[in-house]
Amino acid sequence: MILLESHSVIILNTLTEKFAKAGSIDVQFVDYDGVRFHLSTPQRKTLLLLSMSIRCWEELVQYGAMDVIKREYGSYFKPDAEPEYNVSLEFDLEAIPEDAEAREAIIKSASLLKRNVLGAPFELAFSTQKSLEASASPADGSTPAQGALMQIHYRDEEAIYIQASQDRVTVVFSTVFKDETDRIFGKVFLQEFVDARRQPSIQNAPQVLYSNKEPPLEIRSVPGLKNSDDVGYVTFVLFPRHFSNPDKAYATISRIQEFRDYLHYHIKCSKAYMHSRMRHRVTEFLKVLNRAKTEAPSGERKTVTGRSFSTR
Amino acid sequence: MSNSLRPYLAAVRSTLTAAMTLENFSSQVVERHNKPEVEARATPEALLNPLVISRNENERVLIEPSINSIRLSIKIKQADEIERILCHKFTRFMMMRAENFIILRRKPVSGYDISFLITNFHSETMLKHKLVDFIIQFMEEVDKEISEMKLSLNARARIVAESYLTTFD
Repeated sequence: MILLESHSVIILNTLTEKFAKAGSIDVQFVDYDGVRFHLSTPQRKTLLLLSMSIRCWEELVQYGAMDVIKREYGSYFKPDAEPEYNVSLEFDLEAIPEDAEAREAIIKSASLLKRNVLGAPFELAFSTQKSLEASASPADGSTPAQGALMQIHYRDEEAIYIQASQDRVTVVFSTVFKDETDRIFGKVFLQEFVDARRQPSIQNAPQVLYSNKEPPLEIRSVPGLKNSDDVGYVTFVLFPRHFSNPDKAYATISRIQEFRDYLHYHIKCSKAYMHSRMRHRVTEFLKVLNRAKTEAPSGERKTVTGRSFSTR
Repeated sequence: MSNSLRPYLAAVRSTLTAAMTLENFSSQVVERHNKPEVEARATPEALLNPLVISRNENERVLIEPSINSIRLSIKIKQADEIERILCHKFTRFMMMRAENFIILRRKPVSGYDISFLITNFHSETMLKHKLVDFIIQFMEEVDKEISEMKLSLNARARIVAESYLTTFD
């Protein structure tokens, strides 16, 4: 499994099961980036309540998350969210359509709750870019208009910055590497992201820029940026061809928002691989060393008939 | 095997074989103590001249003989940041298992990456030439292992980056 999935497997499986056969349930679970979910049946067995808590909710609402939720979930959206959570969806098993395909669509979209909410600022940036492009560029050569810089602090020390310009959308990830090994492995991986684009087969991919320590120019004006060795900044430059039609835009959003998880997942994987390799090598070395040991005298020696044999 | 590696390993092998003439030697300072003199350093006359064999400025071996023990420290080649961290991880991994590697020292001598301590008890219970073989094989393979790990890291990074970026088109 090289690529990560953007839906939540727990929601998908549990809802499929509960839609088929109603039953009481109360589970809490988590997703990447400290997102918490609560799936419960507080009143009766046929009324499922799915709540999500996400760290940067206020910022996301500001960038249009509510519109996305209303568009995606419509009548399932519950206006007053469960306490301690940011957003709630309610599924009444007696009211949902009988048709299997329609049910599957509901389940699928519910399992994409986190992706949809986090996708709101990207959608906003894409539409801003389109309107900026439509408005004519200033003839006097002054700098073209730019969309506002959107900041999404989706983890404690890490954030996504999105800015729309006339001809592109810039997405900057800040990422923190917890230890020295992660930092160095991360550097190798990010360098490959920059280099991989040189290959002819992936010329169309968004441009990737990587800077260690120094924040890129787009976000240099943001206050409170950490300027230490363990912070990396990754910039993706999305061109209009990456979101030219709704399908492409959808795929791009899904892909780009899981970038950080993807990177860290593979750093952890390669650390695990190194560890198993070292384990193997060390046992090989031990075998070589054990060859040096002289044969230990065996304890009791027996004759064929089973009597002990000893020298006096 | 590269051209400069062969004489380097040959020099280590013959020096080590020559130095491994160990005999039992009780402490002259404390009664009923029998300590590796190269570590205790209590009797100067029991110590012999230490010797450094170096292949280049980054790779060298320090051999410190004494009457009843010999200490061998290896500096492993570290060309860049990745090799440094891989080497550190690997030697740490081995030294945490030092009780299985009877002759391995838990901490390296300062300035080196890994140290071995062979006492007269080791050379009595184990075959001397096989011990030397082990050290030489270790030196040969540790470089190979580190460069292979580095290659596999780079290969993985490339595949990861490519498969991520090909999903956009």
